[in-house]
Formats: sequence, structure tokens, C-alpha cells
Amino acid sequence: MFVYEKRLQYPVRIKNPNPKLAKIIITQYGGPHGELGASLRYLSQRYTMPYPELAAILTDIGTEELSHLEMVGTIVYQLTQGLTAEELDAAGYTDYFVDHTTGVYPQAASGTPFSAATIAVTGDPIADLNENLAAEQKARLSYDNILRFADDPDVAGPIKFLREREIVHYQRFGEANRTELSSLPKAAWESWKRPG
Amino acid sequence: MSGNEQMALRRRLDAMRFACWELHLFLDTHPNNCDAARRLEEYRQRLARAVKEYEEKFGPLGESSKTTSRWAWISGPWPWDIEGED
Repeated sequence: MFVYEKRLQYPVRIKNPNPKLAKIIITQYGGPHGELGASLRYLSQRYTMPYPELAAILTDIGTEELSHLEMVGTIVYQLTQGLTAEELDAAGYTDYFVDHTTGVYPQAASGTPFSAATIAVTGDPIADLNENLAAEQKARLSYDNILRFADDPDVAGPIKFLREREIVHYQRFGEANRTELSSLPKAAWESWKRPG
Repeated sequence: MSGNEQMALRRRLDAMRFACWELHLFLDTHPNNCDAARRLEEYRQRLARAVKEYEEKFGPLGESSKTTSRWAWISGPWPWDIEGED
């Protein structure tokens, strides 16, 4: 089960709205390398992990991703508050606004709604853990790209924190991957190398 | 004035909770690392002291539905709210 804590993992207090930036950052809410996909990927992969310590790391990182989803949602929300329709229009937010007003909808920067097709859950621990290494790097590069446009320190601060977490998770998944490979019984290892 | 002190204490709490979380993750993949386990214990104790100090000065943290009143739980601000002041 899950218990909610009424706080953010890292504070978000944005003084100046900027809908143009919100439209980019929303990609980490529901885009192809975003936090929604990350949490679903890890929390769904847990069930078929063959060792309890692998289930532990997937549960913990999957849970942390939910708190990152909340941070990204908060950034998008705060960037779009207190503006007139004219201001939103001038910032190029009209197409999003007409569908969602200032609601936070899981979509990519391009407008594509969230899709589970962006994640993999294979039931094979080696494939899943390698998927996760790539996923962390894809999230990291998305934050790098966001930082090219986020010149407001109120926004760049939490985005840099999120970027840093991808690197730490990448490190932990690398260690989990080594645990998995070194724990494989010899017979399983042989059959993995030569199926059938 | 006390708002600043409250904010500073809260930031310290967040930092200690983050340190605990980071060590917890590290121990998932390094379960035999005694140094990390010792540091986690140390941060947990520091965190407990900081929570106590905060709650004595400013009342319950109100972050979980289990440790706060029904009224505090349904009251704002929620974490995504932009809190006025500055």
C-alpha cells in the first residue's frame, strides 16, 4: 500500500509564471521519458524480479518517481497561475488551454497524451534492468534539454535536483544489474547465453 | 520573523530526510556496508531531534494523515500551492 506525505521531496516556489516553459516541462509529467512512465515501469517490473533485493530497489525508486511526478506537476501548475487569457495566448498556451484550461494533464511537450507504449515490462530481469538504465539516461537528457530553456532559478533549481536523481538512480540500477548477473545460477546463465 | 525560522527549520528537516532516503537507497544495493548503515542511523536520530524541535516550536508537522488532526489534513496549503508572503 501507499501512504501520502503532504510535502514535496524538494521545494518548488515559483514567483514568475511562464506558460511557455510549462509547455516544455509538462513532457516530464506525461511524455516519453517522463516521471509517470518511470514510476509505472519500475512499480510494474517488481513482481517478476527473482531476488528480493531487486524488488526492494524497484519499489523504492518507483516510489521516489511518484514524488518526482508531483514535483513536475507542481512546477507546471505554478508556471500557469495568475494569468489572463491574453497573456496565455501570447505565450503560445492557447492550444493546451482550450483542452485542459490550467489543469495538469499527462502529455508530452508535443501534445501527445501519455502512452504506456513508452515503457517496457518484459518479465526478464536482465532486459528490464537494462531498460531502466536507458530510461534514467533518457530522463536525464530531457532535463538537460529543459535546462537549456529554463533561465528562471526558481525553475532551474528543482529541475537540477530531478536531473541529479536520474544519475543516482542510474548508478543504483547499474549495481542491481551486476547483482542480478552475478547471482544467476550457472545453469540459468548457460541457458540465457544459448536459448533452447 | 518566526516565519523565517520556521522555514529554515523545515529546510533542515527536508535535508535530513533526503539524506536518510539517499542512504536507504544506497543500502538496497550495498546491504553489507556498515559505514552507510551507521550514517543512516545517525541521520535518523538527528532527524527525530529536529522533528521534535520543530513540533515544540510550531506545532504538528501535519504531513501524514496519521499524525495530524482531521482539520489540519484537509486544510491548505497543499504542497503545490504557491504560499504568498514574499
